[in-house]
Amino acid sequence: MQPAGMASLFRPRHNTLARISLLVLAVGGGGGVGGLLFYVRSPLARGMQDPIEQPIQFDHRHHTRDEGIDCRFCHNTVDSSPHAGIPATQLCLNCHSQIWNQSPLLEPVRRSFFEGKPLTWKKVNDVPDFVYFNHSIHVAKGVGCVTCHGRVDKMAAVEKMQPMTMSWCLSCHRNPEPNLRPVEEVTNMDWKPEGDPIEAGRVLAQRNDIHTRTSCSTCHR
Amino acid sequence: MSCHDHDTAKPPGKRSGSLAIVAAGDETPAVAAGRKYWRSVEERSGSPDILKAAQREFPPGASELDGVSRRSFVQLLSASAALAGGVACQRPNHKIVPFVRRPPEVTPGNPLHFATAYSLEGFGSGLVVESHSGRPTKIEGNPDHPDTAGATNSIEQALILNLYDHNRARQIRHKGEPAAWKSLLAELATRSQTLAADGGAKLRFLVEPSASPLLADLRARILLRYPKAKFVSYSSVAAEGQSEGARLAFGRPLEVRNDLSQAAVIVSLDADFLVDGPEQIRLARQFAAARTPGANMNRLYVAEPCLTVTGGMADHRLRVRGSEITGLAQALVAELSKLPGAESLAPLAALPKSPAGPDAKWVAAVAKDLARARGKGLLIAGRRQPAAVHALVNAVNVALGNVGTTVTYWAPVLHDTSNGIESLRGLVEDIAAGSVETLIITASNPVYTAPADFKLDKLLARIPNTLYWGLYEDETAQVVTTFIPAAHPLESWGDVRGLGGRASLVQPLISPLWSGLTDADVLASLLGEGDLGSHQLVKEFWRKRAVSSGWNVGASFDGLWESWLAKGVIDKTAEMPDTSVATNPALLAGTLQPLLAQAPKGEGLELAFTVDQKVFDGRFGNNTWLQELPHPITKITWDNAILISKTTATRLGLETGDFARIEMAGGAQVTGPVYMQPGHADDTITVALGYGRSGSEEFARDVGFNVGALRSSRAPWFDRGVTLTKTSGHKKFGITQDHWSMEGREPAMETHLAEFMKEGSEFHERVEGRRAPVATIHTPVDYSTQPYKWAMSIDLNKCTGCNACVVACQSENNIPVVGRDNVRIGREMQWIRLDRYYSGEIEDPEVIHQPVACVHCETAPCEYVCPVNATVHSDEGLNEMVYNRCIGTRYCSNNCPYKARRFNFLDYHEDVPSTRKMATNPDVTVRSRGIMEKCTYCVQRIERTRIDARVEGRKIRDGEILTACQQGCPSQAIVFGSLNDPGSQVSRQHQDARRYDLLGELGTRPRTIYLARVRNPNPDLA
Repeated sequence: MQPAGMASLFRPRHNTLARISLLVLAVGGGGGVGGLLFYVRSPLARGMQDPIEQPIQFDHRHHTRDEGIDCRFCHNTVDSSPHAGIPATQLCLNCHSQIWNQSPLLEPVRRSFFEGKPLTWKKVNDVPDFVYFNHSIHVAKGVGCVTCHGRVDKMAAVEKMQPMTMSWCLSCHRNPEPNLRPVEEVTNMDWKPEGDPIEAGRVLAQRNDIHTRTSCSTCHR
Repeated sequence: MSCHDHDTAKPPGKRSGSLAIVAAGDETPAVAAGRKYWRSVEERSGSPDILKAAQREFPPGASELDGVSRRSFVQLLSASAALAGGVACQRPNHKIVPFVRRPPEVTPGNPLHFATAYSLEGFGSGLVVESHSGRPTKIEGNPDHPDTAGATNSIEQALILNLYDHNRARQIRHKGEPAAWKSLLAELATRSQTLAADGGAKLRFLVEPSASPLLADLRARILLRYPKAKFVSYSSVAAEGQSEGARLAFGRPLEVRNDLSQAAVIVSLDADFLVDGPEQIRLARQFAAARTPGANMNRLYVAEPCLTVTGGMADHRLRVRGSEITGLAQALVAELSKLPGAESLAPLAALPKSPAGPDAKWVAAVAKDLARARGKGLLIAGRRQPAAVHALVNAVNVALGNVGTTVTYWAPVLHDTSNGIESLRGLVEDIAAGSVETLIITASNPVYTAPADFKLDKLLARIPNTLYWGLYEDETAQVVTTFIPAAHPLESWGDVRGLGGRASLVQPLISPLWSGLTDADVLASLLGEGDLGSHQLVKEFWRKRAVSSGWNVGASFDGLWESWLAKGVIDKTAEMPDTSVATNPALLAGTLQPLLAQAPKGEGLELAFTVDQKVFDGRFGNNTWLQELPHPITKITWDNAILISKTTATRLGLETGDFARIEMAGGAQVTGPVYMQPGHADDTITVALGYGRSGSEEFARDVGFNVGALRSSRAPWFDRGVTLTKTSGHKKFGITQDHWSMEGREPAMETHLAEFMKEGSEFHERVEGRRAPVATIHTPVDYSTQPYKWAMSIDLNKCTGCNACVVACQSENNIPVVGRDNVRIGREMQWIRLDRYYSGEIEDPEVIHQPVACVHCETAPCEYVCPVNATVHSDEGLNEMVYNRCIGTRYCSNNCPYKARRFNFLDYHEDVPSTRKMATNPDVTVRSRGIMEKCTYCVQRIERTRIDARVEGRKIRDGEILTACQQGCPSQAIVFGSLNDPGSQVSRQHQDARRYDLLGELGTRPRTIYLARVRNPNPDLA
C-alpha cells in the first residue's frame, strides 16, 4: 500500500516485463495443458500402430488372407460371450498336428499342449477394468471386426488400430450408422456398403434393430 | 395401537390432521394414524446423545482418519500424488492366458451355474451356485428344490465366504505332527484290525445330525464290521423336545412338518419359525403369501421371552418367560377343551397347572380363534421348549383336525431321532467310564458347544485316539490326537435329503483349496475305502441304489446321474407323511404329569439361551459377512449381548452397554455387556450361543462373550436362580439402529385389516397422500418411450427382516466388510439398510421392518449436487453411480434423504487375502477408497440379461431379471421389473392400494415403492 515506494523499486519497463511474463505463462501454461491433452489422445500415447511382439510369431495375414479362415473359427466365443476368446492350444493343434507339425516356430505350441501349460499372449487391445465391453452384442448388431480391430488380415503382428478411448466408443454409440453392416458380413474384411453409404447405414440400423445406449451403466458397473 | 401413539406428528403426505378413527360400537381396534416410530430405548426416551447424533450426517469420527496428523496426511498425499504420476507413465502390460484344452461347457466370460445342496441341521436345502472360470462366486437357492423354491437364508448366502476363508485348516495333523492322508490311512488300516477284534466295543462316532443316504450306508456297513461300535448324532441346538414330544403324543418317533399355505390362525409358542430351523425358508414363503390383506389373511400369535423376527411379524405378541410357556400351553389346552370340537382335550386340561398365571384374556382369545379355524389352525412350539410342550401342541393339532393341512408327521428322515444334548450324554458317560478308546468326531466343534457340565475337553484328553474332522482348527481341534481338515460343502461330493425325504446330490464347484476331505472319506477310511474318494463313494452308492430300487437306469447310469446333478433333486426318493397318527389324551396326561413337575423352579432371574441367526452355534464365527450383519432385532454387529427388559434393567441399575456378571446358582459366571431389548420378558436374561470363540479363527476370536460356561445339560435352554450384577466398564456396541435418523418422519406405514378393508378410510387417504406426484421445479422426463422403466416394490407385509437380502446384495456387489470399530462410527457398507422400527410401549412394542436401499428417484437429489456428474440418470431411469468419475466430495450422500449412499472411507479391499478375492463378482467393479457407492438395481444383471435378449432378438421378459435381494428373499417381498410393461408384476404392485412412496412428499419420485403393512389383530384382544 505504498505506491511511492513501489515506484522506486519497479521501473516502468518492469510493467512490460510483467505483461510479457503473464503472456508467456498464459500461453505456455495453456499450451502445456493443451499439449498434454493432445498428447494423451495421440496414437503414441494410446499405444496405437505399434505392432506387439507375441511369444509365438503368429501371422494373421497367412491364416485369414491366404487360408481364408473365418475370424470366428479361432475367436469362437465372440458371438456368445463378452470376450472374443483367444483359442485354446488344442485348437491350434487341430490343424497343426497335421500340417507344419514339425515346424520349429510351433514348438512352444506343442510344448504347451503336451505340458498342459497355457500360452501367454500379450494383450493388444485393452480397456480399463471398470469398462465392461461385450463382443457378442456388437457382433449380433452388425459391427464388423475390422471396424475396431483394423485390417488384421494385413498385419504381420497385430497392432492396436483404434484409440479405445471413451470418446471413440461414444462417437459410434451416438451415431452407429456408418459402422454397421449385415450381420453375416461381420468378419468380412473387404465389405463395403453398396450405393449411398448414409442410406445403407439407415437401412441397416432398421434391419439390425439398433438401439445404441450411452448411459453410463451400459459400460460401467 | 394404544392411545399414546397418537401424540405424533401428522403423517407427512396427508393434510387433514385427523388421527385415529374409532367409530362408537365398532369392534375394530384403534388404528394408529401416523405412528410414532422409534428405534431404540434411548431414542424413545429422547436421550440427548441420540438427538445430537441425529443432527450429523455421519456419527462423530466417521470422517476423520485415525492416528494420522494433518501434517503427515499432507505428506502422504503429496508423496502418493507424485508416485501416482510415475505409475501413469507406464503402459499397462496385460496378458491373456487361454486354455490349453477348453472344457466344452466353459465359455470364458459367461458364468456357469451348478445345482448342489447344503445341510445345516441334517436336512438339505438346494442351492444353485454361480461359477466364473471355475471360481464359485454367488449362491442362490435352487428353484427346483421343493423346500426352498429358489430362496436362501443369510447363512446360505454367506457360505461362499467360508469357502475362501484363509483361516481354514489346511493340514492333517497326527499326534502334533503334519501327516499325509495316505500314511494316516495306512495307520487307520492297522488300527481298524485291532478295533474289529472286539467288534468295535471301544469305538465311538460323534457325528453331525444327518439324513444323507450315503452316510447312512457307510454307517450301516461300519456297524456290520464293528457291531459294538456306536454312532452318536449331536448338535448343541437340536430340537430335542420336538422328536420326544412326538414320541410322547403318538407313541413312536415322528418328525413334524408344518405347512402355512392354508393356515388361517398360527400360534407360536417360542417358535421363531420364520428364521429358525430347517423349515424356515418354506414357512417364510408360505406365511408371507397368506399375508395378502383380505378375507383369507392369516393371523399370527406369538408368545416368547425375547423379541424375535417371528415375534416382530405377530399380530399379537405376548412376552412371557421361556419356562412359563409350558403353563401357557396348558392354559391354552384347558381353554380349548371348553370349546366345541376340542372337548377330547379335557383329560389334559386336568393336569396340575404351573404356578404363573398367564394372561387369561390372551389365552381365551387365542383358544377361540384356534378353535374357529378348525383344520386351518396351527400351534407350533419352538426348539427350546421341552417335550411336554411339544406333546401338548401335537395333541391340540390332532384334536383340532389340523393334521394333514397345516401339520404333517413323518417317519424320521434323519438317521437318529435323538441328536442333541441328551444323545451326547450317553457318550459322555461312556467316556467317563473309560469304555471309549477311539472316538471319531465329525460333529461341528463339540468341545465348544457341549454343555459345561460335560467337561468334554477334559474327557477327550482321556481317550487314547481322538480323530476330529473340521473346517477350522477350532477348540475341538486343539484337544484331539488327529485332525483332518474338512472340505467345504462347495468342494465336496455327497448327498443330503430334504424335509420331504427327497435326496439331492452335493457336487463340488471347485477342487479342495487346501486338500480338505469329506466326512464320507473319513468314515470310509474305517472300511478300508478311504482312498476311493467321495465322488466314487457317492456315485457307486447311488448306482447300487438305482439298480436295487428298480429305477429305469437306461443305457448307462451316467445319464441318470447327470440328470440328477443337473436338476439338483432326485425326485423318486420323496417320502409320504404318516397319516395314521392319533393321540390318546388320557394316556398322554398320565405320561406328562411327571414331566410337568420337572419345570425349572427357583427364585431369581431366568437365563435363556438362543441360537444366533448369524453365527448359529458358533460355526460361522469366522464369516465376516455374518458377523457384520446387524442382528435382525437388536441391530448389533460383531457381538452378542445380555438382553434384558428395561424394567429389569432399571431394577438392577443397568443400562445398555454396562458390563454385568451373570452368576448361576452353581457358581458358574460370565461377564458381558447389557443391552436393553424392548419387548423382552421381565426377570429374564437372553444370551446368544456361538460367541466368544477361542479357536484359531482370527475373526471369531474375542467377538462377544462365551456363555457356554453357564449352560448345563440339565437346563440347556432355560435356567433359574441366576443373578445379574453390574460390574465396571462400558461397552460401545457396533450397532446400526440409530444410524441415519429419519428425523421423526413416518417411513414405514401400517394399518389394521379392518381399516384397510373399509373403502375411503383414513388409511387410504393417508396412503394416497403419499403417492400423488408432488410438484417439482424440474421438467419431468418422459420414460414411457423407453423399452424399459425399471422399478421395484417392497411389500412390508411380507418382509420379515430376516437379512437374507442384505447378504445376497453384499455377495453380488462386492461390498466390503469394515469391522466393528468402523461400524461404530457409521462406516458400514451394506447397501441395504434393514430398518427395524418399534412403536408403542417400550415393554410391548410392535415391530415393523423396512429394507431401504437407493430408491432410484426420478428427480434424484443426489444428482444435482455432484460437482463431477458422477451420479446421473440412465435413459431407463436408473440412478447410476459412476465410480470412475467420483472424487469423493460426499455431497450426494449429504443430499440423499434416504441415507442410502455408502462411502469408502478406507480401502477396504486392500488387505484382503488373495483367496478371499476369489469370491468377488467379476461383473461388478471393486471400489477403492474415496468412492461413493449404493444400490444399482443390480445393473450388471440388467445389462447381461439385456445383451442376451438382444442377441436373441427379443425383449426382456417380466421376471427374467431378478435382483440379488429379490432372488434371495425367502418371503418374496421384493419385486423388480419394468413399469413400461403394464402386465408386469411390478406394475401391478405399483397400482396396489397399499402403495406409498417413501418420502415421496419431497418430490423425489422414487422408483422403489413400498406396500404398507397390514396387521390382522383379533378384535377380541383390542
